[in-house]
Amino acid sequence: MNHNWILLFLIMTSTVFISGCWNQKELNELAIISAMAIDKNEDGKYVKTIQLVNPVNVAGGLQGGGSGQSPTVTVYTAMGDSVLEAHFHATSKVSRRLYHGHANLIVISEELATEEGIIDILDAFERDPEIRMTSRVVIAHHTKAGDLLKSLTAIDKIPAEKVNGTIHTTERARGESMEVNLQDVVTTLTSAGKETVISGFSLKGDIQQGKKIENIQQSELDTTIESDGLAIFKEGKLVDWYQGEMSRGVVWILDKIQQTDVILDREGQENILTYTVLRQKTRVSADTTNDLPVLTVRVRAEGDIREVRSQIDLTDPYEILDIEKELEKEIKKQLENTVIRTQQNKSDIFGFGEVVRRSDPKKWKKMKNDWNDTYFPNLKVNVKVEAFIRRSGNRTNSYLSDMEQ
Amino acid sequence: MEKAKISAYQLFILIVLFELGSALLVPIAIEAKQDAWLAILIGMVGGFCLYLVYHGLYSYYPDIPPTEYSQKIMGSFLGKILAFIYVLYFIYLSARVLRDFGEMLITSFYWDTPLFILNTLMALLVIYTVRKGIEVLARTSELLFVLIFLLGISVLFLIVVSGIIQISNLKPVLEEGIKPVLKTTFTQTLYFPFGEVIIFAMILPYLNRPEKVKQIGLLAIGFSGLILASVMAINVSVLDVNNITRSPFPLLSTIQTIEVAGFLERLDVYFILITVIGVFFKMCVFFYASVVGTANLFNVKESARLAFPLGLAILILSITIASNYSEHIKEGLHVITLYLHLPLQVIIPSLLLLIAFIKNKKKKSKHSKNLFPKRKYRLVERDKK
Repeated sequence: MNHNWILLFLIMTSTVFISGCWNQKELNELAIISAMAIDKNEDGKYVKTIQLVNPVNVAGGLQGGGSGQSPTVTVYTAMGDSVLEAHFHATSKVSRRLYHGHANLIVISEELATEEGIIDILDAFERDPEIRMTSRVVIAHHTKAGDLLKSLTAIDKIPAEKVNGTIHTTERARGESMEVNLQDVVTTLTSAGKETVISGFSLKGDIQQGKKIENIQQSELDTTIESDGLAIFKEGKLVDWYQGEMSRGVVWILDKIQQTDVILDREGQENILTYTVLRQKTRVSADTTNDLPVLTVRVRAEGDIREVRSQIDLTDPYEILDIEKELEKEIKKQLENTVIRTQQNKSDIFGFGEVVRRSDPKKWKKMKNDWNDTYFPNLKVNVKVEAFIRRSGNRTNSYLSDMEQ
Repeated sequence: MEKAKISAYQLFILIVLFELGSALLVPIAIEAKQDAWLAILIGMVGGFCLYLVYHGLYSYYPDIPPTEYSQKIMGSFLGKILAFIYVLYFIYLSARVLRDFGEMLITSFYWDTPLFILNTLMALLVIYTVRKGIEVLARTSELLFVLIFLLGISVLFLIVVSGIIQISNLKPVLEEGIKPVLKTTFTQTLYFPFGEVIIFAMILPYLNRPEKVKQIGLLAIGFSGLILASVMAINVSVLDVNNITRSPFPLLSTIQTIEVAGFLERLDVYFILITVIGVFFKMCVFFYASVVGTANLFNVKESARLAFPLGLAILILSITIASNYSEHIKEGLHVITLYLHLPLQVIIPSLLLLIAFIKNKKKKSKHSKNLFPKRKYRLVERDKK
């Protein structure tokens, strides 16, 4: 009996040691970071902006109390000679331990990316086990990176969520921006045959207005943040911004288009028809028989007609075939424009180098070192597009066809 | 030797968990770049050969552990020295596995916790298990194998569903030719993890059906080799080679990349469960072999009594073998492979087998002078019992 009591006592004391409380942090001791931004100021110091979540205010208006009185996020800035030093200086401004586990967004300013490049700042993020490699990376376009985090947003209460959500939706619905995470950025930075592309985000309106809670207490916000183009990098430095169809071309060649609209013009009338791509597959292959490789981009797109603004006879299969041909031409033209502009930028964001490497490793070894400057700009790139129209929605011909001329 | 028996299925599971143990943790065969999977598969084939060597020795001496048959083969003095070297080798390897475990937990999750605390907890658990004997260990492995299997399947499912696998990362195959792959095989994967199966020479005598030893061992090595190769292939296709070479625990990075349906993410716990279970068994097997080997060599009757002192030694060794992580990994993947694994896993066992072969041939030729050698041999055996 006595023996059993000792055993019980030992088991109970052991719980003290094996419950793993060494590292324990209570929730109310943590300041949860939702996003981080990196700028560089005039003195050449890094400015780190961190966006902290105010959990009580996120919980919702129904509970009353503090919500509505104070914003859902609080932003702190600090300076330092390196990213981590700036971070340390930030800790002196916050009463709690900064927790990165939920940080899902890293914003880098356009200025920093253009002048200095992003190479020097990412190691601290990659090394910290608390920061996720799946955090999204965004470039602040026409604005300071910090300001992007300071502006309050409607619908999504946390601005970081709004940024990530917008990029996600834009990629899926229009294909004009791309979700890029930390791991993608680092992978493309280290790869010799692929350069970095990162989505841009910009601030519209006055930042001083955007910081105030009155900004989101109106139906139309004075200050908003919105998805804005793709930043094209060359060896870690921002070299160009692509917008609209140009950026869609990049996303398309990278085979990340999920849905997008193609607008068709015919002689005499612009925008006669809108074609929505619902499924597509893009393959890139390389022919390395000659000294200069020949790249072929094959696109196969399927979709519906969503808007008709002229008297096209959609019941006629031959007419459909004609439209398909024209659509193919249009898509081909757009993709070729993107390729030409990118070749002028001398930055292989499409990963053509990787394709060459995979098809002919020996030749790639010779070309590797001056791929971006010598070979890539002179590549011959064939674009072959197949477009299929499957359906035309709830109507066949437009009512325009039945209207008297 | 304790009086215990394990079944063929239990041996299979023990070998599989042992092989996966710390090999799942670290970036093995990454010197072969995107052909790491190939280097692992070739290493597996080498592992088959090594296992056949160990099995050859076992078939000559099916009832006694290597610490004893080395004395029969090499003579009492040399054999004892050899057995002692092997026991030290096993102790060192169990310390390495313990360190692997501690380093993994600290780097990725418990960065404020001292290494000593984590290692102590694991060491205590292992000491407890080994004191209970091989049968308990084998039964535990049966239980946990189901768990690890289900975890593995669900992780694989999530990785596939989240669409992060990019097969193109595995190309081009043999970018630099077959040479770097073979080099990686013969400097690394052959010994770690496949050659380490030599530890099972200490455990084979416990198997209840000796005729199955060969088949089970080869099956288990093949199974674990396939798993390791496919895990490495998945790692490369998800992370890209450059990211793996910079990542101390590639499988962890792969699992952290999973994002399914916007909420199934940050599944690090899968990694912890899989690797902690694997490392636990690997360490148990190593430690068990060290304890039994020591007892056998120094004629200690109750081997369980040695568990505590040896466990303490391993705990201290695990902390002192390297002063930092880079040193630990560099030793593990580059130094000891050539200076310890190669002689102790390949050269000496092959020599032993050769000598045993010659000795037994002599015996046989003596017997064959008799009229009914086989029958007589059997009678003699029976008389002994």
